[in-house]
Amino acid sequence: MMTARLMFRRHRWMITSWSVLVIALAGVTVSAYQSTYATPEQRRMATELAQHDAASTLLYGALAEPGTPALMFTWEIGAIATILVAIVAVLLAVSLTRAAEDDGTTELLRSAGIGPRVPLRSAFAVIALVATVLTLGCAVAVGLNAGRVDAVSWPGALTFGCVIGLTFLLIAVLTLVLAQVAPTTTDARLLGFATVAAGFATRAFADTQHVGWLNWLSPLAVRATVRPFQSNRWWALAIYLLVVLALAALAEALSDRREYGAGLVRRRDRHDARLNVHSGLGLAARLARRSIITWTVAVAGIGTVFSAMGSGVVQQSQEGDVGGFLGSQLGTGDPVAGYFAYCGTLVGLMVSAFAVLCVLGARQDELIGRTAYLLTTGRRRWEPLAAQLVVAAAGSAIILLVTGALSAVVAPTAITGTDVALRAFGYTVGQWPAVVAAAGWTALLIGRSPRWHWLAWAPLLVGGTLALLGDLLSIPDWIQTLGIFQHVPDLALAGANAVGSLVLIAAAGAACLLGVIGSTRRDVATG
Amino acid sequence: MPQTPAVEVEHLVKRFGDFAAVDGLDLTVRTGEVHGFLGPNGAGKSTTIRVLLGLYRATAGRVRVLGLDPARHAAEITRRISYVPGEVNLWPNLTGQEVLDALAGLRGSRDLATERRLVAEFALDTHKLVRTYSKGNRQKVVLIAAFAARTELLVLDEPTSGLDPLMEELFQRCVREATLAGRTVLLSSHILAEAEALCESVTIIKDGRLVESGRLAEMRHLAASDVSAQLRDGQLLVITEGLRSIGVHPVGTGHDLHLSVPRERVPAVLALLAGVEAQDITCTPARLEDLFLRHYEVAAR
Repeated sequence: MMTARLMFRRHRWMITSWSVLVIALAGVTVSAYQSTYATPEQRRMATELAQHDAASTLLYGALAEPGTPALMFTWEIGAIATILVAIVAVLLAVSLTRAAEDDGTTELLRSAGIGPRVPLRSAFAVIALVATVLTLGCAVAVGLNAGRVDAVSWPGALTFGCVIGLTFLLIAVLTLVLAQVAPTTTDARLLGFATVAAGFATRAFADTQHVGWLNWLSPLAVRATVRPFQSNRWWALAIYLLVVLALAALAEALSDRREYGAGLVRRRDRHDARLNVHSGLGLAARLARRSIITWTVAVAGIGTVFSAMGSGVVQQSQEGDVGGFLGSQLGTGDPVAGYFAYCGTLVGLMVSAFAVLCVLGARQDELIGRTAYLLTTGRRRWEPLAAQLVVAAAGSAIILLVTGALSAVVAPTAITGTDVALRAFGYTVGQWPAVVAAAGWTALLIGRSPRWHWLAWAPLLVGGTLALLGDLLSIPDWIQTLGIFQHVPDLALAGANAVGSLVLIAAAGAACLLGVIGSTRRDVATG
Repeated sequence: MPQTPAVEVEHLVKRFGDFAAVDGLDLTVRTGEVHGFLGPNGAGKSTTIRVLLGLYRATAGRVRVLGLDPARHAAEITRRISYVPGEVNLWPNLTGQEVLDALAGLRGSRDLATERRLVAEFALDTHKLVRTYSKGNRQKVVLIAAFAARTELLVLDEPTSGLDPLMEELFQRCVREATLAGRTVLLSSHILAEAEALCESVTIIKDGRLVESGRLAEMRHLAASDVSAQLRDGQLLVITEGLRSIGVHPVGTGHDLHLSVPRERVPAVLALLAGVEAQDITCTPARLEDLFLRHYEVAAR
């Protein structure tokens, strides 16, 4: 138990912040579904449209009859929450196992008289604890609305909580199995995210093609099989728990067969490459190469699928009937512009995550002494952070350009409307100022002091919340404009207003400059 | 013509909040010498080195490295310095060769022939990824980069803690070659035998303060020598009497005599021992370890 407590303590901030985010998302949004539709008649129409729309079915799954506020909540927010917990599950499962082996902490524990199976079992314990917290947290947050929101009941809320907790548990334990196989920690993370993507695709296929049984194979389709606020199938929960136990046993069996710090699949650790770099920028670019390629493939794939799926939504919106979460995204302007602005926000969120992680790499380098070593080859103090910023900005530009170009080619084949290609491209690439603003903010923090790194995610979380949930939560417009993701001009309009983008770029530039100057005025930090 | 010292530090103070890691330190490293920088863990050696490299800003004091102030000319100085950190963290996704390429590329100058020779001598497989390297192998990468770079000053912060004895010998040869080529070496070390074998001068610090500094030969002279001998029955009394008149107190018991004798009294003591025909007389000048331990034993009390 001691090992599990140590592991929990080490990741307590990550666990707490993500749990709070998911539980708050569930708790805060439920009541909004009560007020979105004024009359039962409107709700019935919206439900019918949503049920017959391929795009929203692909995104969120099938909206169940009779489309009560509770069911709409499960359909939309449930989809977002499952994806969020799936991401944490992958990150946490890899951090607890392979990452801890790489940094040597597991070795230290094992040498302190702890059995070979204890670290993995402790990881299970931590994951089970987080799943329990998510289950109970979501159940209580949603259940408190019982009686105030139609069809929300305590048994339904508890089932909903179980769905979220089980999704987390399934993905986390699947990732633990993959972590025994993957050659490196990075590969383990990539395989985990690939599993999430495959789970999403399976669910989307099952729901759009009406192959219901396929949903039993997707860890992201627990909502569809357990049916909270509907039939509340408790027996289905039991089946998933059995699957979790089987996967846990498999992970342990695989763990017995692999070497410490390596997967069952051996990595290639010899090659004859040479490196021709002459500056900190060259080195930073070389080191980020693989990560930029991976992100480009992932974001371009997801972004393009999203843009292409918009046909139904745009059509529906043209007829004036999209409500709830998605309706709030589309606003009241041109439906094509509204849909691509929404897709652009999602892409912007993903690419900002890349940029923030990339700049945070400069902090990691500094703490473990690589920055100090690099500087002693005769480099200037400002160079490491500045190089990382250039790589983050250029890398984001590459990801956005590829995603925008691919969307611009694919979207017109699926969506009919005005300036589809231009808008698909413009709303994607237009997120670049927001991305560099997030990167600049990160540089400002760690340039002044690496201690402030945890605040780096603030613009992304706040901006994401405002952009995705601002209207649903009736947040005043002037507060919403403070978010970084809502300042993309519509390129199809003559005289489009680019002031927001320019302000973001100016702020990003100033933040980068202050951050880099800050880094030159302080000691190089050590871990 | 007196040359500017490679490193000149006067009254260096480095504080972190209330804690003074270095507190009024003086350090002079003459050009062309191997200077040992000794002290226990946490004495402030690495902090001082980081100030010399311009990674830390001095709180107070005057610091000159190769004639320049590292607070203002860090890049100009480090271009002429090879640094070997105590804790070596490299880029795990690069091979050893790629790391050497990167370091030489960043520095902008390279001695490829020397690098190849050192790679062969240190028996390093440079085609493997750094993540597969042991601590010793990572250390070899930075040592090769340091010795192969065209630099005037080598700053080595406990450079051999992961090397095996064979590589330790090779390291010592590299240091000697460096000095023959006119390079200066500042060697922070825990391994006193290594410092003793390599250094002309040493600076010993403790709690951020200077304890002793100077040429090793002179410091040895100032310190007491160890004298030992085997006594036969009946000699003990005469010897004890004689030693007391010289002003030396015996340490050993019975027939094994051990003495710590100040340098100027060594002839008198040896004459006394020879006079009574004591057996197995040995006289060893102070080792660095004795110099070093003396300060810390006193401090530990």
